Amino acid sequence: MDGIELEIVWSNLISIVSEQAKALQRIAFSPIVREAGDLANALFDRQGRMVAQAVTGTPGHINSLAAAGRHFVDAFPTQTLAPGDVLITNDPWLSAGHFFDITVMLPAFHKDKLIGFFGSTIHHTDIGGYGVGAGARDVHEEGLWIPMLKLYEAGEPNQVLHKMIRANVRTPDHVFGDLAAQVSSGRLACKRLSALLDRQGYEDIDELSEEIISRSEKATRDSIRKLKAGTFHGESSFDVPGGDVITLKTAVTVDTDEGTITIDFDGSSGPSPYGINVVMNYTHAYSTFAIRSCLDPELPNNFGSLAPIKVKAPEGCIVNCKYPAPVNARHVVGMYVPMPILKALYHIMPDRVLAEGSGAVWTIQIQGKNAAGDPFTSSMFNYSGGMGARMTKSGPAATCYPTGVAAVPIEVLEASMPILFTKKELREGSGGAGASVGGDGQVIQWRMRTDSDWLLNAVASRISLAPEGLGGGKPGAAGRFLVNGKNASEARKMVMKPGDEVTLETPGGGGYGAPRA
Amino acid sequence: MPNHASNYALAVDIGGTFTDVVLRSGSGQTSGQTWVDKTLTTPESLDIGFFRAVDSALAKAGIEAAAVTDVVVHATTVVTNAVIERKGPLTALLVTDGFRDILTIKDEHRYEMFDPQIEFPEQLVTREMTFGVPERVLASGDVLTPLDTVRAAAIVDDLRAKGVVSVAISFLNSYLNPANERAMRKVLQARAPGMYVSISSDVAPQIREYPRTSTVVMNAYTTPITGPYLDALRDGLRKRGFVHDPLIMLSNGGVIGIDIAKKFPVRMVESGPAAGALAAAYYAEVLGLDRLLSFDMGGTTAKACIIEDRHPLISGNFEVDRIYRFKTGSGLPILIPSVDMIEIGAGGGSIASVSNLGLLKVGPRSAGSTPGPVAYSRGGQDATVTDADLVLGYLSADNFLGGDMKLDLAGAEKQLAKLGESLGTSVRDVAAGIYRVVGESMTAAARAHAVDRGIDYRGVPLFAFGGAGPVHACYVAELLDSPMVIYPPLASVLSAFGTLVTPPRLDLSQGALSRLSALKWDDVDRIVAKLVADASSGLASAGCKPSDIQFQFGADLRYFGQQNEVTAWFDADPRQQHDAARVRAIFEDAYEKLYSLRLPEVDVEIVSWRLVATGPVASRDSKVALQSAAAKPQGKRSARFGANDIETPVYARKDLAEGQTLEGPAIIEERETTIIILPGWRAKVDATGCIMASKE
Repeated sequence: MDGIELEIVWSNLISIVSEQAKALQRIAFSPIVREAGDLANALFDRQGRMVAQAVTGTPGHINSLAAAGRHFVDAFPTQTLAPGDVLITNDPWLSAGHFFDITVMLPAFHKDKLIGFFGSTIHHTDIGGYGVGAGARDVHEEGLWIPMLKLYEAGEPNQVLHKMIRANVRTPDHVFGDLAAQVSSGRLACKRLSALLDRQGYEDIDELSEEIISRSEKATRDSIRKLKAGTFHGESSFDVPGGDVITLKTAVTVDTDEGTITIDFDGSSGPSPYGINVVMNYTHAYSTFAIRSCLDPELPNNFGSLAPIKVKAPEGCIVNCKYPAPVNARHVVGMYVPMPILKALYHIMPDRVLAEGSGAVWTIQIQGKNAAGDPFTSSMFNYSGGMGARMTKSGPAATCYPTGVAAVPIEVLEASMPILFTKKELREGSGGAGASVGGDGQVIQWRMRTDSDWLLNAVASRISLAPEGLGGGKPGAAGRFLVNGKNASEARKMVMKPGDEVTLETPGGGGYGAPRA
Repeated sequence: MPNHASNYALAVDIGGTFTDVVLRSGSGQTSGQTWVDKTLTTPESLDIGFFRAVDSALAKAGIEAAAVTDVVVHATTVVTNAVIERKGPLTALLVTDGFRDILTIKDEHRYEMFDPQIEFPEQLVTREMTFGVPERVLASGDVLTPLDTVRAAAIVDDLRAKGVVSVAISFLNSYLNPANERAMRKVLQARAPGMYVSISSDVAPQIREYPRTSTVVMNAYTTPITGPYLDALRDGLRKRGFVHDPLIMLSNGGVIGIDIAKKFPVRMVESGPAAGALAAAYYAEVLGLDRLLSFDMGGTTAKACIIEDRHPLISGNFEVDRIYRFKTGSGLPILIPSVDMIEIGAGGGSIASVSNLGLLKVGPRSAGSTPGPVAYSRGGQDATVTDADLVLGYLSADNFLGGDMKLDLAGAEKQLAKLGESLGTSVRDVAAGIYRVVGESMTAAARAHAVDRGIDYRGVPLFAFGGAGPVHACYVAELLDSPMVIYPPLASVLSAFGTLVTPPRLDLSQGALSRLSALKWDDVDRIVAKLVADASSGLASAGCKPSDIQFQFGADLRYFGQQNEVTAWFDADPRQQHDAARVRAIFEDAYEKLYSLRLPEVDVEIVSWRLVATGPVASRDSKVALQSAAAKPQGKRSARFGANDIETPVYARKDLAEGQTLEGPAIIEERETTIIILPGWRAKVDATGCIMASKE
């Protein structure tokens, strides 16, 4: 296939999955989906290899979905699939690492022949069980486990599964609204693909997929071959709710003969008793993200471009956890996965990396009663610290990395529950000094306008260990989590009194390069 | 001999490079006749170029200013320029105490996931010029803390000492209760009478503090520039003997009187492009077409806008000065009603390259107009879309800009040959590839834009203008399954023309969050009555009689628990019906149209009320002089279509006669653009002067 023809068909595939994603994001109930774009959409070939992906949201989802494709194909051989089937799972080990993320796959048929799949993963509003947070003792306490099943069979809803889900989540209307959106956007994508094949005169996407995957793999290997060969080390330590310190160690090996990069997490911390353990899919997702954004952010994301990047971690460690470890708040550790990798890459591409930043976003959920005595449960909302500095640019203040979630506006939160914010400003000077300075964190302060006790579920990290500087840069300030002016950090929900005032001071990013005299 | 026709209308559109003028007679012998001119924009003092254009048009028509008894309308880039070039005066921002960094923190979103090196746009007000004021309004609208007038006064004195010229006020929850913002404004007006003030509850009374603040800041930043500018235009026109004060084109596709424009300059941001969309809507009306896709491709970008029911789609928000590949989030957000337009980095100057995957890519890098395409011989070294168009034979090396600019064909071929080497193909094949790839990317953008709005784009005719639009429109139409392309007359001054066919219009909204199940109709009556009163007085200032004003009522709604709203329009004044079930049904219809989904179990929430008030459109016929005898081709040249090189007839547009038909392939040249009619298409010259190409 020539480079003109392929460009035209390929860009059409990407626009099909992008439209699918756009529709999903706009109708989602889940605040983290619509505000943060925490969703992923992709086209897979018959073998379950990801061919094209929408440019969306957060790295955790998009690369976890890539891995899920193969698992679905293993579980549902071609002959077991019919037009109108819809597949589903939220198995943490087979998809995106916790129950909230439900992956839906639609087999795509063209002229009665299975030609591929359209998949989507989105973070749902509720999945029963523990709810938001890291306090469950094992994965079963965390909610409803949906194995790989058919949600629809030949267009007909699987009533048993529908009833099971409906009875096991707190917000069935929202969950089914979002599932319906996943299904309808997938159906639209199937139609669009068929129309494209008709227009181009193709019978299937086999040759196209082969061409896309092999070219992407070759381009990735070529980019890697331009790097300096060797094994480079990086290490990052941070504290998590409850006070435990986690260390992630990486050995990043660049093999310029093969054109591969291998990331090995050997020596990293063991499992946590809290729900912050990370499945391999999710670790793989954030590892490949870190490599890709430094190597060449413009390379497409598909099976071919991901193949030359290999990720290893000892089985059972915190970034390759085993059943039945609790995983609900896996982002708390998962979002630090890029940090040691960036530190290793600093040795070979110092102009592309950034210093450590605040890492995981701080997430909050509140339950209580309003003035009329009616109970409420807020959506999960989140705040960022500062980003680490770049070689020639400072780190953006109050902006998260590696994920890209937005904060819900104060006015929206105040309209949805009896909360009153008294402050949201930068923490001046919290960014680390350096030739380039780290981004400042922020101070957020609120109290509840209620007469009853309320529950606070705040997931804060980097309270004792601040983000380090890079290449002689100074560290940023560690975070602070205060209740009525006193330090607090709990992995579990805290019972609060009506007048209590909560203050969050998110960490500042590390500086880059020695500060100028 | 003096011209005795009367009832002339005059329009001036100031763009980044050119100031365009259109003068048209409304009655008498020359009724419908137009005079146009294009002069260079004078960035240092825009009014110089304005009056140069006005004087030139009057002279061409041989009339006095007093003959312009119909409207004088103006579209201008003055606001956008002030923002992009950051040339506003020292501006301060007053916020609720404790929230001083709102412009830096924004919504905390990193708009580009994979590039860790991105930057954010520089804000119009610095942190040093942002001040917290003790006050607080609750989400119920109740005042928790009244304005601390002592602190407020001290801050005002400080602003004066610092030499602040204009002030934006944006307090939390002020969209529900403006009392504290107004109290602050009062203190400012009392202690610093010369200072300009904008308050967010006036400019954009909508929920979400960051975009509302960003909007009021841009308003405050541009008020001191726009006010004197508009005054100078009015005074200059009066001095020349014009009967009417000018009307100003807003982003919403309506015109309004000077007083409102001076108060809300942020609403003028997309003045020029909105006028272009209005021209498309006008031709939809004249040609009897319900829907059009307006397609404007210039040197660096292409813009598309959907005309539905003969009106451009309007959206409630917009972003100015995007700094990263036109990406959402990389600009300054503003909450203003604006013609809903998609802009992508695909234009004549877009650079072609071969990626490391061996794919032919076009854009997003652009050579712009400097250094421009290789063929311009201004130092451009990268092959662009214009170079490809030249090599394909679509553009003439000798007759570009009417022959004023000679194009370097050999230079363009040389650069394209380099791309051909890496792709293993010939120069003309590469050029054809660029033509196809850029067509595909514009199509993809237009398709996504339509799908996003629940609109089926198939079968919608294209309305093509801009320097490069008519070269590429036929191909884009084929990709979009559109059977027709319309090439309007006066295309080079289309935005100026568009202002002349625009009715006075105001779009207002008021945030008022409430579930439909708990809606208080007393509040609704009060809110809607205020919107109607404000709109009526605004349109009165544009010369509308109260009896001529039409209102359209609407609301932004969503299912409870969602974050994004859908705007739905009612068939009647909600005050007369008080019917929540009806509101719900209208929302669900609109929602289903967009997303093919209804959720009967979920409560519906109203976020804002909306009102569109429109004045009458005068009958504004437009005539274009057409030849009576069918034109012969001026010559032939070899052009590439698909895999074939075809000797293609070349026509001059000005020679074409009414009703003349041309079979594709054909090339029709104008001074500012070239129309390419592809094989399989047939073009016909309509009585309106439009060339209508349809697929056989």
